[in-house]
Amino acid sequence: MTIKIAQLSCGTEYSSVQYEIDKAARSVGAKVVYPDVSFEDINEAVKRFGFNPRSPQLKLMIARAIKLADKKYDADAVFITSCFRCAEAALVRNELRRFIQENTNLPVVTYSFTERLKAAQLLTRMEALVTIVTKKDLLARERQTGLTAGLDSGSSTTKAVIMQNNKIIGKDWTSTGDVVKSAQQVLENAMKEAGVEFKQIEALGTTGYGRFNLGKFYNAKLVQEELTVNSKGAVWLADRQRGEATILDIGGMDNKAITVRNGVPDNFTMGGICAGASGRFLEMTAKRLKIEIEELGKLADKGDWRNAKMNSYCSVFGIQDLVTGLGEGKSFEDVAAAACHSVAEQVYEQQLQEIDVRHPIIQVGGTSLISGLVKAVGEVLGERPIVPPNSQYIGAVGGALLSSGLL
Amino acid sequence: MSEERETRLFMISPDSMLTPDQLVRMVHAMGMEATVKETCYGCLVEGPSKLVREILAAVREKYPYEVFSKVRAYPCGDPRRCRAQHGTRPGFAQLEAEWAALPLIEHGLKCSDEGKKYKAHEEEKQLPLDDFKKICEASR
Amino acid sequence: MKVFIDPPNSMILYDLVERFGHEPLSAMAAIQNKIDNIEVDMPPMNVTLDDVIRGLKYAGVEVPSGIRGRLAMWGPLIEQADAAVIMIDAPFSFGCVGCERSNEMVKYLIKRRGIPTVTVYYPKNEEEAETVVGQVKEFLEGLK
Repeated sequence: MTIKIAQLSCGTEYSSVQYEIDKAARSVGAKVVYPDVSFEDINEAVKRFGFNPRSPQLKLMIARAIKLADKKYDADAVFITSCFRCAEAALVRNELRRFIQENTNLPVVTYSFTERLKAAQLLTRMEALVTIVTKKDLLARERQTGLTAGLDSGSSTTKAVIMQNNKIIGKDWTSTGDVVKSAQQVLENAMKEAGVEFKQIEALGTTGYGRFNLGKFYNAKLVQEELTVNSKGAVWLADRQRGEATILDIGGMDNKAITVRNGVPDNFTMGGICAGASGRFLEMTAKRLKIEIEELGKLADKGDWRNAKMNSYCSVFGIQDLVTGLGEGKSFEDVAAAACHSVAEQVYEQQLQEIDVRHPIIQVGGTSLISGLVKAVGEVLGERPIVPPNSQYIGAVGGALLSSGLL
Repeated sequence: MSEERETRLFMISPDSMLTPDQLVRMVHAMGMEATVKETCYGCLVEGPSKLVREILAAVREKYPYEVFSKVRAYPCGDPRRCRAQHGTRPGFAQLEAEWAALPLIEHGLKCSDEGKKYKAHEEEKQLPLDDFKKICEASR
Repeated sequence: MKVFIDPPNSMILYDLVERFGHEPLSAMAAIQNKIDNIEVDMPPMNVTLDDVIRGLKYAGVEVPSGIRGRLAMWGPLIEQADAAVIMIDAPFSFGCVGCERSNEMVKYLIKRRGIPTVTVYYPKNEEEAETVVGQVKEFLEGLK
């Protein structure tokens, strides 16, 4: 069966990205379609929707969304996309996302592109859309059952979790070296903690960059992209399975922000923008200050970033500012707080602008254990994020939870 | 414009008695080496630019007020543009609106050919703020 | 003479310009040039990545890609135009000219070139249609 993805868009044909969109859809067994609307439909739709954008193509987007809401056009999923940095389109894009979610059962993802469209990000979105359509029942699962395992093979760390009857009974992580060996090691340790043997495990789910490799090695029941798996894991851990939320993962190398509704992702941003906006910046700062990274977080809690202002977000010049500050007699606390604030602010300015931040914010990943960073994110976003227990294990938990649905 | 290929759409004004079928037969009767495809609004003609222009001239001469034409970028049946492949492209609704406006243009062309003087466009002015204020105050 | 039309894909304006003896410069012709001269395995929709980058000539990198892509198509046409016909208040200017910011910029680029231009208003009735056709005809016949 070919999944029909209705495209509601502005600017794709004049940004040279339409071909990439069609290609990404095809590669996951889907096809892009455009809900048919007439001239009259457009006028009526804009009036009914109540938002009258100046750009004609945005009016057309609205009319197409209304066709879907009225069930006058048959599609399986919705992809809403427009040019990055267009304010008018960003407003319409987000309101249409909400409108589609309130008026249909169709899964929807949104995306803002530049001409340098990130093909991998687009593909992950398309893959997630198709997953949401084809594995709807599986994603509706809110409780883990039986005895299952989840493996998250990330770019910097590998995590394993053993779950039984909706509880985590064993877990471990290590930095990723050889994909299979790292997974074997953490799974072994997690099983030891849980007091179970491999043959007792009823199902195993893999996610992350190494998911295909591990899926093959362990003959896993579930091999799934991290967008849907991490979302499920995060809302399970934070006990926020219903309603909307933003999942923020400031990684060692790249950052992810996923918006979810009832545990199902509808947009995400991933990058890759600058080392100064990652956990690596905090590691480098800690090293330069000759303190442990855990200590940096605790110091930052007590400090005030305003006392040690930085002139740069950069991991070279920014750290130089901090060291100079120390030389001028600024306290370690204030300098640590400034480092955390710098990362949080840059993540907000460069990355969270691409999505609509929804509340609550659930902060996950290894860096969510650095309390000063969580505090800084809270200050920047105006709300302290929820950090669930075991927040670094979202992918593995999601894998164990979802694979239990395949028993 | 490519001399090799010209794809042109011919659109019949909605108040015309001419049918797409009649238009297509007229073009066929010219015996030109061009592809003619009947559509709901008229027809598409595709062929070497020189031939297509000859067809255009003949159609204009025979139906000076009821058939309108423009070129089309994509060739006939191109899957990137074809409605049957994935639904209408963005330009569809625009063309639909222009089609609805053709009787007005037809009227304008006839009047112009008859040498009728047209009225200069007058922009609608907004009520001066002072006048509006007076009205508001009067109705208090 | 070469006459740029705005909206650049309007059938009515294309028809009128041609009917009164000039060569319309339109979106269709610009796009045809792209699609006829491109390798078959990478069919673009309207523009290529290089076009969008060329659009930097008209608007900076902070301007959305769709605007730069459009300007990369219409900009060169405006540069080679001898005259322009602009229709405003048209209810149908969506689709290929779907971005209002691009539309505003196109009108500005025409103005900046200082070429002879006629601006007509989309007709609401027969009398206004006489004005549109009359103005366009007079303008085009007056072009030497």
